[in-house]
Parts: sequence; structure tokens; C-alpha cells
Amino acid sequence: MMRIPSFGARESQLAVNADLPVFATTATLVLAAVSLIVLIGIELRRRSRGSTTVAITGTFAVLALVIAVLRPVRITARHSSIGPKVLVLADTSRSMNLPSDESARGASTATSTQRRDVRERVLEQLRSQNAHDARFEVFGFGEGPAKRRASVTQAPEPHTPLRSDGESTASDTDIGNRSDLSTALASIHESSEEHPQAIIVVSDGRLDSPDETASSEQLAALGARLRAPIHTIATTSRAPDDASIRQISFAGSAVAHVPFPLKIVVGCTGSVACDSVSVTARELREEGGSVELATGTAHPVDGTATLDLSVTLDRAGARIVEIAMQTPAGDSLPDNNRRWLVVNVARERIRLLHVAGRPTSDVRALRRWLKRDASVDVVAFFILRSRTSASNASVDDLALIPFPVDELFTDHLPSFDAVVLHDFDAHSNGLEKHLRNLSRYVRAGGGLIMVGGPHAFASGGYASSPLADVLPISFESARETPESDTAPFVPAWTPQGRLAPLVAPLRAIVGDQLPVMPGANVIGDVKPGNLALWSHPTRRTSSGAAMPVLALGDQGNGRAIALAVDGTWRLEFSELGAQTSARGFSALWDGLLGWLMRDPRFEPASLELTRPCSARVPNGIKVHSTNAIQGSTSGRQTLEIEALGDQTSSKRVLRFELPPEPHNSPPSVTIALPGLEPGGYAARLVSSAGTTTRLHFACELGGDEWADPRPDVARLRRLAEATGGTFHLASDASLAPPLPEPTVVSTERHVAPIAPPWLWTTVATLLLGVHWVTRRRAGLA
Amino acid sequence: MTHAPFPVARLRIRTIMAVALLPVALVALVLLRTRSAAAFGEEGAFHPRALIVGGLTGPAYSTASARWSFELMQRTSAPARTRPSAVRADDPALVQEPFVWLSGRQALQPFTAQEIASLRRFFGLGGILLVDDAGVSDNGNPSPFGRSAREQIARVLPDTMPIALSSDHVLFRTFYIVRRPQGRVEGPASLDAIVRGGAIQVLFTSHDLGGALAHGATGSWEQWVTPGGEAQREYAIRLAVNIAMYTLCSNYKDDQVHAPTLMRRRAATLKP
Repeated sequence: MMRIPSFGARESQLAVNADLPVFATTATLVLAAVSLIVLIGIELRRRSRGSTTVAITGTFAVLALVIAVLRPVRITARHSSIGPKVLVLADTSRSMNLPSDESARGASTATSTQRRDVRERVLEQLRSQNAHDARFEVFGFGEGPAKRRASVTQAPEPHTPLRSDGESTASDTDIGNRSDLSTALASIHESSEEHPQAIIVVSDGRLDSPDETASSEQLAALGARLRAPIHTIATTSRAPDDASIRQISFAGSAVAHVPFPLKIVVGCTGSVACDSVSVTARELREEGGSVELATGTAHPVDGTATLDLSVTLDRAGARIVEIAMQTPAGDSLPDNNRRWLVVNVARERIRLLHVAGRPTSDVRALRRWLKRDASVDVVAFFILRSRTSASNASVDDLALIPFPVDELFTDHLPSFDAVVLHDFDAHSNGLEKHLRNLSRYVRAGGGLIMVGGPHAFASGGYASSPLADVLPISFESARETPESDTAPFVPAWTPQGRLAPLVAPLRAIVGDQLPVMPGANVIGDVKPGNLALWSHPTRRTSSGAAMPVLALGDQGNGRAIALAVDGTWRLEFSELGAQTSARGFSALWDGLLGWLMRDPRFEPASLELTRPCSARVPNGIKVHSTNAIQGSTSGRQTLEIEALGDQTSSKRVLRFELPPEPHNSPPSVTIALPGLEPGGYAARLVSSAGTTTRLHFACELGGDEWADPRPDVARLRRLAEATGGTFHLASDASLAPPLPEPTVVSTERHVAPIAPPWLWTTVATLLLGVHWVTRRRAGLA
Repeated sequence: MTHAPFPVARLRIRTIMAVALLPVALVALVLLRTRSAAAFGEEGAFHPRALIVGGLTGPAYSTASARWSFELMQRTSAPARTRPSAVRADDPALVQEPFVWLSGRQALQPFTAQEIASLRRFFGLGGILLVDDAGVSDNGNPSPFGRSAREQIARVLPDTMPIALSSDHVLFRTFYIVRRPQGRVEGPASLDAIVRGGAIQVLFTSHDLGGALAHGATGSWEQWVTPGGEAQREYAIRLAVNIAMYTLCSNYKDDQVHAPTLMRRRAATLKP
């Protein structure tokens, strides 16, 4: 805020007329001086009668002549004094929520005085101790450019309400995840506003930039650019008694099924007993709570220890990993003993298990497509011989191997991203006893496709099995219901099938056409929350609905597809296939497998946080829907927020109904979220059409800012010294740094001649005449 | 007036019974035909359709296809069409299935442009053609059919040449471990094939596989197999089963999971 300068008293002074050049003034004065010297010197040496009179009259005449040439004026002016512009950069990072020196030992963050309270006191003290009428402007720094605060003395509000678009207004309540002083100073330098004459940094010193390794030259450069000294005031000088996870890092990228090392740095300060600290890494999941990935023990020496844990994540996508350390006795800040990471797990190749109950053209078509795709690693087992087969050959003449059903569906099952059961009888192939495990696998995040045929679905023994729980369809319970319908038919597109992104590429090729299917497995209704893309044109379920033929849906962490026909190979070998160069088959299976693997191309919507989540701070989720949802006749959508894993708070589910959007309206809407407790969360967008999209994210109370709660007084001191500033502790009596003097500025000026020029000329002429008369009387020429 | 004697009365009863049973028989025939039509699970079955092209009027052995299906279903879990059909090369139905086989003895007439276009469409979708020389001599010399078939296929696929399949090609281990191809005649020790993208498009046999499979309605084999007799016929059937399995499973047996077992078994069969 610009301080209104004070107005000074009126001042008057004499000066020569401004139209006289300097050389003329100088020449006039020099000639006058020479004249006087000559006049007075000669006359006084002469000592004759009248010489004194001659000297006196001559002197007056010279002076009058000089005045006539110089024509003096009177200048009247008013002055004002403008104080130096001083920029106060207040640290607004989350580390300022940590306890201050008053509370460094023994109090929780909820009740203690925080560093931000000390910061506010410092700002108030600066204002009151402002002896130089300095113009203070207060900015906050944390992440990104410096942000102006309303005023020095305005008290911060506890929460800043979000705007309707989810963004917050810049204010003191912006709790930054970083303390980036360098970027803040750079933004000041690049600003077009008046540059400050001094900078005061109020912080705890725990800065991300400049970091602790910055040299004096680098620190000096920060002030040199702005040509201003940087004075620093430390809000805190004492480290709390604390043990914390200081840093978590891993090199490279995380790839599914591939172990990667997590490097964890643990630190202890104060009087905390920290000889041996156990650290555990867990993955938080939507169903099944949390899964321990690795555990280890750190032995801090001189307050720090580094621990390497090897973890393996089996599912691609955003995974929430919790790193927790045991809280030692005396730890006054337990909130920084748990960290949550969002690990984006890439998938080198999709690893898929394809088991077929018998070799058919449908099996051939799928295998050929899978093997053509370099991004898919297929492990295939086809049952080539049944118990009744009479091969007429010894084992040595057969190229057959035993089907390792037990190994595949126990130890090796988690290594697969998806399983395809292709016309596969569970009972005759020994799979029955593994169906519960397979169901758990799907709920834990795996993908499942059940492809029809005479030995699939009810015919394959799945109707009353544990696997039925994770299929997107139910089974008909009536005893007289046949297990298959052998009548040929052409599947019909459902309304959802016409809009679902995963079959859009197929529809782009075949339109509404689909080939004739030679019958279908008889299945029941689509379960609530699941989706049917194809249905039987004539067959009805017991509820009267069209029997689904292709259905899919989310099952816990995983997804499942039910395809109740074995005729998709007809998208290749048929008149339709010939017309479309068999591209329809690739398009269909690319969509099915892509949807199963959560390929963003086939998701009905995308979810995005409006900013990184800070615990207990309101946020927003931007929902961007595809036209598939927008144009759907049943476009109701619900956003659910669920806490992941076993957390101290009960499993919390928030629900928000999204307003129905008129057609052609913008596809994005932002939902305001309240502050969430620390932990991992899953946001799920569920449409009444059965489609879902999800986002995993983590909210931390202090994040990196609380990882190391030690203030860094030394760094603030070095910064001040390097830039020519001064250093103070917040507890010092006087915080006023030396500031430049105010600048005096004339605000009002009048120039008026003392007498008109003709008067000066007349007087000079008269005095010259008197001097001439006097000289004549004295007998001089 | 004398009444009709007893034999005359018996004749009337028989007539009545025949007339009464006739519709029953007709219905039974219809039902049988219905059951034998392709149904759920049969559409994707192995279907050894005979290809009619180049002036041919039918396959060299009309019973070979059915026997092929029979042997496949007996020995493996693969389904097969029990009543295989024939299809003309210029028929749009050619692209309804992924496999056809061509057999004959006489020289083929040049394929028409429509036949060539249709066959190219078939291969473009991933179809497989078996060309089986039924007129091959006992010492393996190709017949006019064999020579002309290669010429005509070269017109359909002009940018590829047949190559000899190596003994470790997956075709020889899709179900049985087959050491060398054999048919009605012993023929050459290798099979030729046109391969594209690692997959067989056309397979040439100079072994008269159909001759070894042809099985008469009386229940006996139609052709002698020389020089190995019934043991050789068994190996011919195994080759036919392997070809069918290749059609249904593609290169499944090339997967690494099978490698250790197959290498051990091949080593065992190669031991003197």
C-alpha cells in the first residue's frame, strides 16, 4: 500500500535568473571581482582626496551592474518526504504451521503457537517500529511467484472459500507445499512495479530455494539483481523434539511387477530416543484395506539414517503407497511420521493369461490378435485333449504338456494383469478350487474376460461359484432355463453400447452392423452398476429385460467383462469382415482389453484435482466427461470419495451428485471438496449408465514442508550477510533493519523576480553616473 | 366268389405300415439334418472345406474331409464339422471360414480373375489353403495337378515364393511330434509353404494326404499307403491332425512355456 507522503514547511531562497547561462554568470562575477580589486587597490594606494568616495561609489556601481546582469529572483517551494519502499516477504509455506519456539517441546500442533503466529507478530512489530516512514508491501512466498497480501495488519482468515471454478483467491491462507524464495524474488524483479529499496524476509529458514548448499555468491546474487539488501527475521530458532520421515525417493520409474527401490531418509532432532526405528511401506487399496509391501529398521547416527526398501507394485496406474515409521518416545510431532506417495506405475507390457477349453476359430482369432500386439505378453494354455480323446500315441509322440492349473491360479496369478477364460470348463479342468482366489484377484485389481461357448458361464460351472460375484452379470436361477441358446442371431447395440468409448472404434468401422452369432450362453441380468453393450434381440431374462450378450463393469479394484458368444471371430471371417478388412475384430478387442487396463482412451471421463491435496484444506475435483456421458439419456453422475486402506478414521465415503448438463454444454464441471484428513483417497465417478472412472490421490498434512521441522537460522543469517542486510530473531526487541533515508521531493515551487529588470538597470546607471561624477571631481578620468 | 388269400392281406398291412411310417421317417431325417447343422460351439469348429477352382468339380477324395474331421475329434478336444462342405473359389462364402483345401490329379485350368481376387481376399483375412497333390507318383514326382497348382497359386500371390518348412517348424508339433511328412506316398522329406508374417498362407504337400484319409462307406480305407502300410497311414493322419491344430491354434506350440518339454521329447525321439 502506498503510504501518503508528509508535506514539509514552505522554504524561500534567492537565485539568479534562470535564462542566464552559467558561463555568463561566472564571467560577470569574475569581471566584477577584478573590477573591485583594481578599483579599491588603485584608489586606496593613491591616498588622494576623494579616493575613498571614488572607491565606495565605484563599488556600489559594480555591484549594481552585477545585479542588473544577474537579475536575482526569489524561489518559494514546498517539499515532501517519501519513505523507502520495503518489500516484506512472509513465508506462507506449510512449515509455518509447525510449532514455534514457545511450543517446540511438548505441545501438539493443534494447540500450540505456530510459526505463522510469530510471523504475524513480526509483521505487526515491523509496522509499529517503522521509524523511516517506510512504505511496506507484504507478499507471501511459497510456491511460484510472490503473492501480494491485503495489508500488513490484516489478520488471515482460517479458510479461503473456493471460487465456483475451484480456484482459490490469493491470500495469506495459501499454504504452499514449497518454500521457494528464489522464484519469489525473481517475480519481484520481473514485475513492472517500483523495485524495493530493501527486502525483509520473515521465515523459519527451511527453504527449498536457495537450498542449504547455496554458496555466498549465489546468495548475494539474489539481492544483486534487485539492487537491494535482504534483511532476514527468523521466526523460530529451536528445533522441536521430533522424529520424521525426511525424504522418500526412488530412481527411474515404477513398472508393474518389477521391484524398485525406495530410499527413505529418517531424521531425529531434540531429545527423541531414536536408536532403532522401524519403517513400513504399504499399498492402500480400495478393497482389501492395505497390503504390506516391505518393512525395515533404520538406525540413525547423528540424527539421520537412510533405509532402502524394495517394493513391487502389481497393478499399473496411480497407486497410493503409505510409508510409516514407528513413533519413538518423546516425539512431539507425530504427524510427520507417515507419508503418502502417489506412485504412477507404468506397464512395460500387459501380461495376459489366455486359457481356452478347446481350440476353435474364435480362440485362433484372439490368439493371432494378441500375438500381433507387441505391448501384450501372452501366456497361453489351450486344452488340446480331453479325457475321452484317443490320441493313439505314446506321451513321447505327443507335443502336449500338463496344464499347470494349480501353479497358474495360485503363485503366478498376481503376475498377470488380466485373465481370459475362453470357453473354459471350470470343473473338468481343475479350476473350480481356484475360483475364490480368482475372484479375490479381480477385486484386488486384476482383469477378467469370460468368453462364451458350450463350456462357459453356467455350462462351465460358474453359476454358483465364487467367481460369479465378480462377473458383471447374474445367472438365471430357474432350473428349466437352458444353459445356451443355439439359435443364430445378430446382437443388438444397447443405448449405452452406442455411446461407450471402448466400442467407438468398432462402431466407426462396422457402424450398427454386427455379424451373425451362432447362439449364445444363457445368462441373467446385468448387475447394478455394470453396463451392457450388446443384447440379444429376442431373448429375455427372467426379469423381462433383453438378455445381455456383452457386459462389463468395475469389481472392486479390478474389472470384468462377460462376452456370452464365441463368434467374434466372425468380425474377421464373414462378408462383413471382408468388407472391413477384418479391422472390426482388432477394434473390438483393442477396446475390451484397453478398457480392462484402464486405457484413458476408453474411460468415460477424466478426474483431476484442481491443485495438489493438502490435508484439511478445501480443494476441488474437475470432472471432464466425454460426449458418451453427456449425450446419454440417463446421464446422472455421482462422484464418490472414499478413504483407502485401514486408516484411523472410519472408511469415509462422500457423495456428490453432479448436476445434469444440457447437451452441448461445456464438458467440465468442478466439484468443491471439503478439507480431507491425511491419507489416501479414491475418487470414483459413477454414472447411472454404469460406467466408472476413478482417481487415486493422497492428502498430507505437512508433506515435504514438515518432513524436516528444524528451522534454519544459519541460512537466514548467511543470506542477510551475503546481500548486505541484517539478521534478527523474532524474539529481538527491535526488528527494524537499517533503511535508506526518505526521499525529499518538491511538490510546489514559485519563482518571482525581486524587482523588474528596468529597475536594476536604472539603479546601475545612476550609480555609474554618481561614480563618474565622483571621479571627475577627484580629477580622475 | 373267393376272398383274398392271407399273403394278399399281409401285403396290404405292409403297405399301410410303409405309408404310415414314411412321414415318421421323413421327420426323423429332417431332425437329423437339423442336428447336424452348425450350432452353438460348432461354428468355430475345424471345417476342411474342399476348394472348387480351376475347372475342378470336386475334391480328389470325397470321403477324406469327413474322415479328417472324425480323426480330429477322436484324438483331440478340437471340434470339427462332421459333414464338411465344398466351396467355390469365386463364391463369397469362401471368406466364411479360415481354411480350405485343394486336391486333384489333373492339371488345373487357369484361375479366372474373380477366383484370383476372391482368393486374395481370403488370404488377406488370414485364411489358410492346403494344396494336396493326389496324383503324386509313388516315388514323389508331382502330378500335372501339383505343377499347375503351384503355377496358379503364384498368380494369386505373385510376391512370395514357397519355401521348405524346416523340421522344427511348429506345424510338426502342434499336437503330435511329426518327424517327417507322410501321406499315401512317402514323398519328399519336407513340406513347402508360402509364409507371410510368420504365418502359413499356403501349404503344399506332395504326399497325397487325402489318399491316406479317404475312408469308404464300408468302413475300410480306400487307398493303399506305400511303402509303409498302416503305420505310415497313422503318421499321415497325425500330420493331418497337426495341420488342423495349426489352423485352430496358430503357433501356440511355439510359446516358450512348451519349449523345455518339447526339446526333451524331440531329443528322445532322435536317439538311435
